[in-house]
Amino acid sequence: MDSVLRAGAMYVALLVLFKIAGRRSLAELTTFDFILLLMIGEATQQALLGDDFSLTNSVIVIVTLVAIDVGLSLLKRRSRWMSRLIDGEPTIIVENGKLLHERLRRARLLEADVMEAARSSQGIEKLEEIKFAILERNGKISVIAQED
Amino acid sequence: MSDDRDHPELRSRSYPIREDMAYQLKVWRFERVGWYVLVLVVMLALVGLFSRGLISSREVRSDDGKIRVEYEMFHRNGSTNSMKVSVNATPDTAVELELTGQLLEGFSIETLQPVPLRSRSSSQGIRLWLQTDLDGQAKLYITLRGDGLGFYRSQIFSPGTNGIKLVQFIFP
Repeated sequence: MDSVLRAGAMYVALLVLFKIAGRRSLAELTTFDFILLLMIGEATQQALLGDDFSLTNSVIVIVTLVAIDVGLSLLKRRSRWMSRLIDGEPTIIVENGKLLHERLRRARLLEADVMEAARSSQGIEKLEEIKFAILERNGKISVIAQED
Repeated sequence: MSDDRDHPELRSRSYPIREDMAYQLKVWRFERVGWYVLVLVVMLALVGLFSRGLISSREVRSDDGKIRVEYEMFHRNGSTNSMKVSVNATPDTAVELELTGQLLEGFSIETLQPVPLRSRSSSQGIRLWLQTDLDGQAKLYITLRGDGLGFYRSQIFSPGTNGIKLVQFIFP
């Protein structure tokens, strides 16, 4: 019983934590983000398994995590409210070549992040060449170029 | 925060995606408040709310000063902490110490140093006999591993002295 509770509690705790951290936190993995992810994994492992390193326990934990994950994706399909709560919504951050500074500030983004996405996805050099930049639900920035 | 919604940059757009900025503002507010909560948790952990720190490490004495206990008020399930019991009694004799209450339900005793002269179970807990030194001091070092969850109330006393009441909390 406790394996299921542990896995469930850990799932919820991590879900809330990464909601607080925001969608950008692990979208663009820098070297340090990768190390951070490994450390979080290490810290989680012990709490998930406790002092029971049996095959049964680890299978129960994995089954619980996957079941919650599948369950949530089913819920998301049924309820828009749930889907919005878990995945969030995309947000426009550049409109017709102009940065929406107030939105950037709240999303904790820099102009450099937008330009990086513009360069890597569209080969865009200047902000004016961007028609729209959208901060997607998964934290990536998608860029639509101006048509000329 | 109506002024937030009035800001031209924060109004909902409908092209190329349909936005709901009122909701997005709530999400951003949640992230901001969440960050304060995270900092608060870190601070509380630093001062010892989750075991081992200023507010967790306690030292109590019985009213007559004969028993002194140093212990951690907050424990975490599965982790070990030490407890130190000091007793003042007649020099070079065996002094009796009784541990009662919920201590043995919430914790398992991993080590007991030095090994008592004798030990026995009693109706409410365990009794131990310790040898006092020439100054009448006896010390007992206990390593406790938190097994339970929640509050545990226990007493430590020696016959003829006022006991000590301990309240300990074990986090999941």
